[in-house]
Amino acid sequence: MTSANFDALKAGDTIDGPVFAVSRESIRLFCDASLDYNPLHLDDDYMKGDFGKTNFGGIILHGMNNFGLISRMLTDWALPAGAIHRRLETRWLKPVKPGDTIRPAGTIKAKQTTSKSRWVLVDVAVQNQRGETVAAGEAMLEFPASAKAS
Amino acid sequence: MAQAESSAATPFETDFWKDAKLRKMWDDIVPGEPRKTLPYKLTQEAIALYCRAVGETNPLYLDEAAAKAGPYGGLVAPPAIHILLMFACTPADDWMRSPGTVNAGQSWSYNIPARPGDTITLQARALDKFIKRERLFVVHDNVFFNQHGDVICSGRGQTIRPM
Repeated sequence: MTSANFDALKAGDTIDGPVFAVSRESIRLFCDASLDYNPLHLDDDYMKGDFGKTNFGGIILHGMNNFGLISRMLTDWALPAGAIHRRLETRWLKPVKPGDTIRPAGTIKAKQTTSKSRWVLVDVAVQNQRGETVAAGEAMLEFPASAKAS
Repeated sequence: MAQAESSAATPFETDFWKDAKLRKMWDDIVPGEPRKTLPYKLTQEAIALYCRAVGETNPLYLDEAAAKAGPYGGLVAPPAIHILLMFACTPADDWMRSPGTVNAGQSWSYNIPARPGDTITLQARALDKFIKRERLFVVHDNVFFNQHGDVICSGRGQTIRPM
């Protein structure tokens, strides 16, 4: 994994995220932590029905659980270097179900210096244990002039 | 009139079917119209529970002494705490709770961290709605503030609405 040093960072450098085992219990815990008790995440009978053209077949992970894991990866990488997680945009590509193992990762896309600060753009993606991308997006981190190792 | 804080007034209704009939369907949602919101007092317990759910272990969120010596001079919440705030700051008849609401995408910008003890308020509305491939979409526009009127974070989301 690349260290969070603005001057040394270059496109293609990578950030490793945490491995996360998804279970019925982890989904239930996320319901309690987020107060999102949508039956998509709780009710298997409800999830046997069709959603337009989609049938999930059982409960699914909150999309925002993916979002929270990506955010965790970014802050764990940036904070020790004095950098700040400023933006995250994600979209969801595949449902995640109990029994899946997911892991976010980041790839540095570009650096930008503005009149008052310095910025790093990161492509982010979450993959499951089959190597399928379940969520993707991009993030923006700020490296203030005071950030370490600059 | 002073609003009751959502954490103190009534226990959170976890059965999202219960008030389903009170909630606006896609047809009823007027882009631009403010949503009803509730102030919410963010506690260290709620932050710790969120951290447990996503495996956050950073001492800035969990260890008061370490956080005091850190860049924010005290405990803060992880940036993505807005995931909780969205439901904590909206009433039971809000259409984010309609069973079958599917999240289609989110983008969030972070200004300053929320802190335990903050009273958080939300300004929210549907900004747009559209139909794509027979699905009913709404674009959400949300801004969270602390008790000093400072922006904590702002976000735009899209959900697919239940038919």
